Amino acid sequence: MNAEMDLVNFAVDEARSKGATYAEARYEKQDPENFILKNGVLDALYVGHDQGIGVRVLVNGALGFAATNSLSKAGVRAIVGDAIKIAKASRRKTKITFAQEDSIAMNWSIPEAKKLADVSVEEKIAEIQGVDRDVTQLGFKLAARYFNLSDNRIRKYFANSEGSRIESYSPRLRVFYFLTVVEGAGVEQSSRNYGWSGGWEGISTWGLSDRVVEEARSMHRSLTKGKKSPEGKMDLVAGPQVAGIASHESCGHPTEADRVLGREAAQAGKSFIPPDGLGMRVGSELVNVVDDPTVEHAIAYYLTDDEGVKARRRYLYKEGRVTEFLQNRETAAALHTHSNGAARAVNYNVEAIVRMANTFVEPKDHSLEELLEGVKHGVYMKSFMEWNIDDKRYNAKYAGREAYLVENGEVKHPVRNTIVELTTPAFWSAVDAVGKDLDFEAGFCGKSDPGQALDASMGGPPIRLRNVHLR
Amino acid sequence: MEEVASQIVDKAIALGCQDAVADVVENRSYQIRFAQNEAVISNQWRESTASVFVVHGKRVVASDLKDLSKTDEAVERLVKIAKTSQPNPDYAGIAKGSFRYARTRPDPKVLSLSEGGKYVEAAVGGALDQGAKECAGSFWKYEDEHFLATSNGVEGHDHRASLYLSIRALVSLESSGHGIACATKLSGFEPEKAGQKAGRIAVLARTPKPAKAGRYTVLFDPLIFGSLTDQVGGRLSAWAVLAGLSPFGKKIGKRVASPQLTLYDDGSADSIARKRFDAEGVPTRRNLLVSKGILKTYLHNTSTAKKFKTKTTGNAGLVYPDSHAIFVRPGDRSRDEIFSEVKDGLWLTNTWYTRYQSYVTGDLSTIPRDGIFHIRNGDVVEAWKDIRVTDNLIHLMKNIVALGKEPEQMMWWGEVSVPNFVPYALIKDVGITTSNQ
Repeated sequence: MNAEMDLVNFAVDEARSKGATYAEARYEKQDPENFILKNGVLDALYVGHDQGIGVRVLVNGALGFAATNSLSKAGVRAIVGDAIKIAKASRRKTKITFAQEDSIAMNWSIPEAKKLADVSVEEKIAEIQGVDRDVTQLGFKLAARYFNLSDNRIRKYFANSEGSRIESYSPRLRVFYFLTVVEGAGVEQSSRNYGWSGGWEGISTWGLSDRVVEEARSMHRSLTKGKKSPEGKMDLVAGPQVAGIASHESCGHPTEADRVLGREAAQAGKSFIPPDGLGMRVGSELVNVVDDPTVEHAIAYYLTDDEGVKARRRYLYKEGRVTEFLQNRETAAALHTHSNGAARAVNYNVEAIVRMANTFVEPKDHSLEELLEGVKHGVYMKSFMEWNIDDKRYNAKYAGREAYLVENGEVKHPVRNTIVELTTPAFWSAVDAVGKDLDFEAGFCGKSDPGQALDASMGGPPIRLRNVHLR
Repeated sequence: MEEVASQIVDKAIALGCQDAVADVVENRSYQIRFAQNEAVISNQWRESTASVFVVHGKRVVASDLKDLSKTDEAVERLVKIAKTSQPNPDYAGIAKGSFRYARTRPDPKVLSLSEGGKYVEAAVGGALDQGAKECAGSFWKYEDEHFLATSNGVEGHDHRASLYLSIRALVSLESSGHGIACATKLSGFEPEKAGQKAGRIAVLARTPKPAKAGRYTVLFDPLIFGSLTDQVGGRLSAWAVLAGLSPFGKKIGKRVASPQLTLYDDGSADSIARKRFDAEGVPTRRNLLVSKGILKTYLHNTSTAKKFKTKTTGNAGLVYPDSHAIFVRPGDRSRDEIFSEVKDGLWLTNTWYTRYQSYVTGDLSTIPRDGIFHIRNGDVVEAWKDIRVTDNLIHLMKNIVALGKEPEQMMWWGEVSVPNFVPYALIKDVGITTSNQ
């Protein structure tokens, strides 16, 4: 990567010499590989070879960004010229500044016990075909099934005009599956997503075949034994998948500082939390929600962000109050604080913006059984299918995929399409107990324009909500 | 660049591939993102990518190559990987050329445009003049040039350029409006009008009241109706049908919408996504998808067409067929007339986050954003907030009772993925839910 590193350093120097008060450049080489096994047939294999350099400059208080995959001095000189020219043309009345951060020289990589590059396509396909075979052998009517196995090897080199020089390597592995089970006139659909930072060894940590088989069984159970979900106010035990999506949607997104400041207003929206909203109560005192890029092997693991700032754990909500926004250097300056290393870009050709990494409810001490024991009448919603939330992150809906009636602490029959449609404070204020067994799922988080669908994970232990309205 | 495309195809065939496609794309797009009424960043791209599709013994491999100086080595690597992959029995080849393409050319004034600040200022100014306080959005000059070659004798060149602006205007966190401007000619680009619309809706949406759940007659503004028709277009991809991601499976020849709805896909018509050919080189054309409510066809490439015993519709992507641009045949109502038909209902202006509980049944919900209005006897009586449309895609389409006569080109971040030419739509019996606590 030496030649590319020289080009990155050249880009930074060239930008400074052309009048940028701040400049950074990022080389990325990505080697993605993925395939879809649809109804037992390998649709197509995708093998990418992606690389290029992006340059961001600050000129007269305005930002310009340009990117190319022409890895030559002429190509890089051209985009530096572009970035400076378009920044100068911005005619901003207020000046953008960056929070002062330490410069870093670092070389980090995520270890792979079995390198992704050494795993053949045949082995990968065989792994997924094995899972497909196991689920079809159940004998259920599977109207459609598809599996997507993807991996990516991401090499980066970042440099800025303040002296940071960071090299990194992130191997990532992911499985997504989508099943359709039919029974009579009934249809049940489910999708799940698992992610790993590291080598091929990640595939065995998921117990994929067991999980998919159990999912299909639960879908069949819902169809054959499921009853109408009860309506009214009652208790809800939300499984890790539900706690995870809620922590991502109604804790992570509203604490993104760029959203709080209005930079995403026309796309991903704003936030119900105002810029001076730190300390605002949004949940019960048991609610701690964390975003942490340093969770080992989580899909969004990193040690430095794409502005060269060290990653660290962030408490978004602590004891039910908003405690920290996710910041990059631009938002941190606007809010008179420091970046907490949340700037990420999906590739070399887009700017780094404020993003979540691995977001989860911090575990406490209850087992699932203890959570259920305390429920006289309610629902255990283990997983969800449909979900959405408004653009200020206040009104969320989670529709149950696998859910059960709970009476006097006992799990009874499956219930179908349980609907939780609550405001963010209503959801988190109802939490009266938090479990101890943390589980994660992977996802893609969408934001920005051009859209950046970025690796993220979300999770939590099971949590219990008292007296919430369900449909 | 046409030499690079041909070289990739020739190399793949020389290595024993049965089919090969290379689409070398030069992207020279330019964007300004703005927020708080001024630019927050300007972006410029200079990228050349070869999208490659090779098939060896029915083993299909796709790729995007960025190092165009080493395409021979890259193709060798792809073919080697293809040999270790597995055959796709459903693969049925690519279209046979040669083809004649429409002589479309980008507007020279769009091509020469290198500074977009004044269009952002026009849009923001338009919104602020209406009383908005805060504006955010994006201005785009899209420009890409395609050089296509396939092993079936197709060679194509397509230079595409267009202008786009999306603006959201806010009076407060809960009072906002959205406007869109799309054009392939500079003379037809109206960012100020988009800003004015966004600002007008935002001001009208001041002091919104909590909503009441129920079933309503709803007037869908073109932007939100475009979200629904975009769902229809996307779910009509034959690939989506086969993957269990569509409510339109086994519904060819059946009623899927009200007789009011006639809808087609047309990549050849003037839109900001106009293209001469699809990924196999098949000339784009108009395909009638829904005629007076009856489903006519799915969107196909050569392989899915064979599986469904029909012909390609010219909608091939690199691997899967998809919509190019969706057109709804306009109705006969003026804006005033269609508003006057709402005796007691809602007017929705935008939405996002459309998600399905079941793709097969079409059960979904989506969250309106920006102006939400309660209408009585054709007039806005108050603004509402915090609602969700909880319904079914086919039920919504079947309940269309009237369409406006003036379609607008809509495309928007995350929701309207391709241009949708849509008028106002009046739909009865729409499920509206709210947060229960």
